[in-house]
Amino acid sequence: MRRRPGIGGLQKAAAARDQYRLLGENVAKLRTDMMKEQLATFRSQLEEFARKHKNDIRKNPAFRAQFHEMCAKIGVDPLASNKGFWAELLGIGDFYYELGVQIIEVCMLTRSHNGGLISLQELCNHLRQRRKKDREAVTEDDCLRAISKLKVLGSGFEVITIGKKKLVRSVPTELNKDHNQILELAQGQGFVTVEEVQRRLSWTSGRVTDALETLLEEGLAMIDNGHKDGKCRYWFPCVSSVYSSIGSDP
Amino acid sequence: MASGSSIGVGVLFENAEVTTSGRPVLRRNEVECFLLSSVEFDSEDDPPRFTTLKSGNLILTTHRLIWIPSQSNGAVPSSISLAAVTHIYSHKKSIKSMFHSPRIRFQADPGAIVVTIVFRGKGDIDGFLTKFWECWRGRAWEEEEKSESETSRSGSGTVAQGLYGNDGTVRMVGLAGILRKEQEQWESTDKSLQDAFQDLNALMSKAKEMVSLAEKMRQKLLSAPSSQNGSTDDEEMGSKEEMQQWMLSVGIISPVTKESAGALYHQELSRQLADFVRIPLEQAGGMISLTDMYYHFNRARGTELISPDDLWQACTLWEKFDVPVMLRKFDSGVMVIQNKSHSDEEVMSRIRMLVTKTETLRAGVTASDAALTLKIAPAMAKEHLLTAETKGLLCRDMSPDGLRFYFNLFPEIDPTSQHIAKDFGTYGVWVKATSMLSV
Repeated sequence: MRRRPGIGGLQKAAAARDQYRLLGENVAKLRTDMMKEQLATFRSQLEEFARKHKNDIRKNPAFRAQFHEMCAKIGVDPLASNKGFWAELLGIGDFYYELGVQIIEVCMLTRSHNGGLISLQELCNHLRQRRKKDREAVTEDDCLRAISKLKVLGSGFEVITIGKKKLVRSVPTELNKDHNQILELAQGQGFVTVEEVQRRLSWTSGRVTDALETLLEEGLAMIDNGHKDGKCRYWFPCVSSVYSSIGSDP
Repeated sequence: MASGSSIGVGVLFENAEVTTSGRPVLRRNEVECFLLSSVEFDSEDDPPRFTTLKSGNLILTTHRLIWIPSQSNGAVPSSISLAAVTHIYSHKKSIKSMFHSPRIRFQADPGAIVVTIVFRGKGDIDGFLTKFWECWRGRAWEEEEKSESETSRSGSGTVAQGLYGNDGTVRMVGLAGILRKEQEQWESTDKSLQDAFQDLNALMSKAKEMVSLAEKMRQKLLSAPSSQNGSTDDEEMGSKEEMQQWMLSVGIISPVTKESAGALYHQELSRQLADFVRIPLEQAGGMISLTDMYYHFNRARGTELISPDDLWQACTLWEKFDVPVMLRKFDSGVMVIQNKSHSDEEVMSRIRMLVTKTETLRAGVTASDAALTLKIAPAMAKEHLLTAETKGLLCRDMSPDGLRFYFNLFPEIDPTSQHIAKDFGTYGVWVKATSMLSV
């Protein structure tokens, strides 16, 4: 076709370009929509298979490997056992083990912003979201049971009660870096208050209290209740003395 | 002797690679299917060749028979490729066999040697034979070759790669052509999804295809710009996040299971765990709590969950093997996994550095000082300081200030002239450091 000169031709070309672009966008959108839909089907099918044919899948090692690969690639959690009658009654079966693994996972993923201390309620919410296909929701009692199965692995993972709230602690004292931050904070004045730590490190009060309590137990902190402003002060004699002695060095 | 016999056997047997903890190194897509202990190989055709292959563990995988000696008596781990097997004889039951150890015979190339597997221990021999047949018939190694040649072909060709092919391959075939192609592609994807998920058998036979489809979807989803239009729903973001998290947890292709390992379950689990912990341990900085490891290990195993009890038992078995990791239990009841090398020497040398500085020689260190310097939790630091004390590196000083530790100078004091202050060694430095205070 010959190109037509003049303003009319230019306008026409521009209009055609616009139309192509529009079409392109539509196709692109359609494509992503289709893919999302197919992905959703793929996922729900995999989840269903993981639940229904679990034992058959486990019997065939070669297929199991492929099944896992599929699950991992499109983000399906292959751990999806129903609670079932026996699990409910006797606490046996895979359900509580699976839940245990998922609980640790939630704790680890949220650790960067809660320091390994999560309220039982929040934990439950995370788990329910993860298992939304499941007909029966995960209860707090299920979580407690699952956590109690982890006892064998040492006392690092435990449920503690602060006030009325139940919290799950996933970082053992020996590996808790929160304490270091408090110590660093205490280097300034030699003491800290709950409010100060909360404000300076933007932690929740539960996290602060737990860390300070542990430091008290470890004999690193001393408590001072008698101050005028009525706020409880946690003194760190060891930290401050070394700080001042190093500071006074020539 | 070992080298003499391996010349002959070498044709049939290859040396098998094993990890430091004594587990076989599997090839790509190779999956472990069965494991038996106290197994030896024998052959009537040429007995001297098989003299070293006595009393070991036999591992059947989809690709090979792997034999690993249970004691290090000069025998090397060996393997026979299942591809070399030409015939498996059925298990004959006769009066004679009741008094013998059970044995299974098969014929293998080159040279059509008849090899006898003798089972000295207990184990499910029939189960093994069934799996042996299955794996041999399955011909997993052939699929490998096929898929390899396929990928090399599709790499150069312009075959449309389903709906999710890269955009560069789209040819100029006109708008209608592009649209039609697009539609055909997603229709075929739809169909294959439907076919594959009809029942478990269908999924099994289409597994390979589905895995590659999953991979394509994943690539597409991860590369898609998240802010395509302002209304990206939470679900999409959520799923994206989920996928990224999962990247970490694709792991053990061939987990040791009770079914495959039988009586050797805990032992083999222990070895596999020892191989596995290395990476998570490194990421965690040389020490990781047992619960965290429980998570990592189970996630890597997919649906083959192990119980907390199994994990604990596997860890306690490490004492028996020569593995570079160890289980450590604190007085508080907390259990962690750590590198053997990480454990003491390195920490001790750092503590020594810390306590021999001028100011610490004078004032000593507390657990919190050590924690801040060594960048570890105070409770851990205290633990290390106490260990250092038991090793004679430090001395403690209990005072109202709390527990402080000083460098242990006693070994440097000469009992024959203990009143003379030395002016060399750490003692000398200490004298200088403390006299500076009094000046």
